[in-house]
Amino acid sequence: MVHRGPDDQGSFVDPSGAALGARRLSVIDVEGGHQPVCNEDGTIWAVLNGEIYNHPALYAGLRARGHVSRSRTDTEVLVHLYEDYGDALVHALEGMYCFAIWDAKRRRLLLARDRFGEKPLFYRASGGRLTFASELTALQRGVDAADAVDPVSLTAFLALGYVPGSRSMVCDVSQLAPASVLVWSSQDPVARISRYWRLPDLQPPATRSLEELTTELDLRLSAAVRSRLLADVPVGVLLSGGVDSTLVAAYAARASRGPIKTFTIGYDKSDFDERPRARRVAGILGSEHLEMVLTPAGVADGVPPMLRQLDQPVADPALVALHAVCGLAREHVTVAVGGEGADELFAGYPRYRWLAVSGRIARVAPAPLVAAGAGALSIGLRGRARRLTDVLGGGHVVERHLNWVTDGLAQGAQQIWGPALRGLTTPFEPVADANEVIARSGASGLVRAFMTLDQERWLPNDVLTKADRSSMLVSLEMRTPFLDRSLAEFAATVPISEHAGPRDKHLLRSLIERVWPELDSGQPKKAFRVPLAEWLRGPLRPVLDAQLARGQAFAEGWLDRSAVGQLVDEHASGRADRSRLLWSVLAFESWLEAQRGTSAL
Amino acid sequence: MRRPRVLLVTPDFPPATGGIQRLLGEIVARCAGWDTRVVTIAQAGDAQGGARVSVGGRASALLRPTRIARLNATGVWRGIGWRPDVVICGHVVASPAALVLQAALRVPTVQYVYASELSHRRRLSRVALGRSTATVALSRHAADVARSAGADPARVHVISPGVDVPEPSADGPAKFELPTVLTVARLADRYKGFDVMLRAMPLVRARLPAARWVVIGDGPLRGELERTARAWGLEDAVLFPGQVADQELDEWFSRAHVFAMLSRLPADGGGEGYGLVYLEAAAHGLACVAGNAGAVAEAVIDGETGLLVDANDHVEAAAALTQLLADPAGAADLGAAGRARALTQSWERMAAALEALVDELIGSRR
Repeated sequence: MVHRGPDDQGSFVDPSGAALGARRLSVIDVEGGHQPVCNEDGTIWAVLNGEIYNHPALYAGLRARGHVSRSRTDTEVLVHLYEDYGDALVHALEGMYCFAIWDAKRRRLLLARDRFGEKPLFYRASGGRLTFASELTALQRGVDAADAVDPVSLTAFLALGYVPGSRSMVCDVSQLAPASVLVWSSQDPVARISRYWRLPDLQPPATRSLEELTTELDLRLSAAVRSRLLADVPVGVLLSGGVDSTLVAAYAARASRGPIKTFTIGYDKSDFDERPRARRVAGILGSEHLEMVLTPAGVADGVPPMLRQLDQPVADPALVALHAVCGLAREHVTVAVGGEGADELFAGYPRYRWLAVSGRIARVAPAPLVAAGAGALSIGLRGRARRLTDVLGGGHVVERHLNWVTDGLAQGAQQIWGPALRGLTTPFEPVADANEVIARSGASGLVRAFMTLDQERWLPNDVLTKADRSSMLVSLEMRTPFLDRSLAEFAATVPISEHAGPRDKHLLRSLIERVWPELDSGQPKKAFRVPLAEWLRGPLRPVLDAQLARGQAFAEGWLDRSAVGQLVDEHASGRADRSRLLWSVLAFESWLEAQRGTSAL
Repeated sequence: MRRPRVLLVTPDFPPATGGIQRLLGEIVARCAGWDTRVVTIAQAGDAQGGARVSVGGRASALLRPTRIARLNATGVWRGIGWRPDVVICGHVVASPAALVLQAALRVPTVQYVYASELSHRRRLSRVALGRSTATVALSRHAADVARSAGADPARVHVISPGVDVPEPSADGPAKFELPTVLTVARLADRYKGFDVMLRAMPLVRARLPAARWVVIGDGPLRGELERTARAWGLEDAVLFPGQVADQELDEWFSRAHVFAMLSRLPADGGGEGYGLVYLEAAAHGLACVAGNAGAVAEAVIDGETGLLVDANDHVEAAAALTQLLADPAGAADLGAAGRARALTQSWERMAAALEALVDELIGSRR
């Protein structure tokens, strides 16, 4: 876990046997920020992973109420806030964090995770013991027995490319859900979890003009970016050239005195390469722009160690590019800001618009007719157009949605299940989980329901996991202005018709057009893609073959060797694109082998 | 000299509720030296008196363009028929009528400005403020907004509204047992900071678990606020009684412990033009927690009649609310000072200032 905090370490052991430990990447108060931190009389101890952005304002308030602080770190602010507010201190925090507070007098532990799940927190509660860590791997070292893979998590991982919800890939280890606190005490040695915040479904009335909305968005995004530039070390921007990171870079440039640093990754394959767009934005903003080309050879060298180090596997191919750009940025800065979260809060995915259309069609036409029509339309269509008819067509809407977001994996993955999975789980687990999230949210419409699903699952379990792991593996701190609380709550006050009505990400695009017209490229959204299918036929083919030849997952019965072999053949021959599923197999195999290697040590 | 004829053209007027409506109603009632007629938009419950002409359908939260057009047309029509000595325009949307009468009858016009409407209707405001004979703002902040919206600084007058100060009575209703924070507002403008109050409540309740926030008033944002309170588990901590009758409102004012409204300066400028409701709270002896921005900082004196906080900082707001709720004696001292200050702000004072201004305008024309 040293990569999470290469600069410093510290620990505290309570006479009763409770222990807190921390590794630190020094960003704020580099000299005075040693962890753990305690209060004046040593009865309250805290460790923090992440950042509390509003800690200067919190200190001002604490001093006004008579607290004495010894450092100016955001960790110490937790201790004093806990003295004032107890568990409710989370309501005062703005940031990305997970933290632990040990109350020695009450012999009670409080764990908390930030509102969107930017920072990870794993725990294991069994036999009256609670262990927790920022990484799954750190927990596994603490127990004797080899860890069992959770079949439900693996099923979901194969279908979705990530482990959804509070599960982990390991049977008795859980993740604390975003916006939640966990309380454990020696009197009540059970993990008591409660949620402290959610983005409300407001069903807002359309009372404001587009101009009023963009004016307010301008103010809030500007403030969110400014608060995330606060650091005692150099800060840069990860710039893809798309709307989200362009806006972040623009506000960062405006808030900085000197030129900012921007970082971009590209490919030598032109239809995936975003370097020209990023270069254009960097030129207009006058940033010190650094770029790097991800070559096939670089991919072949970089991917295997990266996958082995992934703590909880995540099989989003964009991880490769993100990891590479983080590596580039780390050579120049310690902190980088990026555009993550904008798609989920400001309706950036085209599927939201299609869902809105689908909802309107469903209201006027009988379902069998729609299904028949979509079926007829889909004949002869391929790729995206084909997926569109899936969304419009019959069948349960959640299944259709999952098929859309996973390229049909949600239904196709069970062909490679090994004997250990069969009978222990069903392919419908991810669908059931998604249904439950939607039902619990009580969302007011189809689009709001799926935005909620994405905010509750896709965002923390894929997007933010990817961002945290790829940055932390190179000891870079990544910050996400779009996940500012008040910006997110503002987004919730915007009617769906304004978010996804005229075009996807309507509000952010309007902001560029009105406030930053010189940055407006006028080009439609290009999903951040990597040439994965080609890589798996080229540079990654030997990596995949070698990994499958060792085949830990086949040996343990999780996957079926011949079915996977068939996928490899189909993909290699070019008959079909099996890259998504093969990538999940590769990620799981690498992870499992690394785990078993670890436990054998 | 005959009584000056004053024509008031305004979309907002009693019985509709709100600070502006109240103010314009008081002008008509208190400026006894005038012969006043009002052209306004019809409301449910209108009493059709001789001094009042109402146009359009019933009141609506959003002023529809057709109603505004009819208001202006009727204002011009009645004005030409009646030949007033001065035209008072209650809102920039009615300025076309006032300016037409100014040109046709060569009479002076008085344009009332608040604040936020000037940033929503920039072009119309520029014309209205540039041409009207005088502009009346309710606060120094609103006067600044008017100047930056195009008003000639020499023609901007600050005349703040008055407030009724109830007699303190020993046998009045007792304070609530539960620590109660009160807000009174039409639930229409986001700049009034209801969102920040909702964020502050969990922190207030961490210190004072029984504390509650009562939000009197109605409007298009009510559904959103109720949904947020439910989503955050605050349904028992936040009460929305809706709009209440004057007598009931007095009772809420008398029984609550603290008045709070975190009005901020919105991104496009404007915000509160005066914040009459803070003065009303003070008149009832309530200490105020308010945002340190714009006209509100004139209505509430920090540390004297209440506490001013950063209106975007819910943690600071929660600390201020907790401080006052936990110390009723200290809050009562601030409330008493607020009441003493409200006593100096009578409606009679406002009416005298406005009458003097109108006399001056008519006199300089002759």
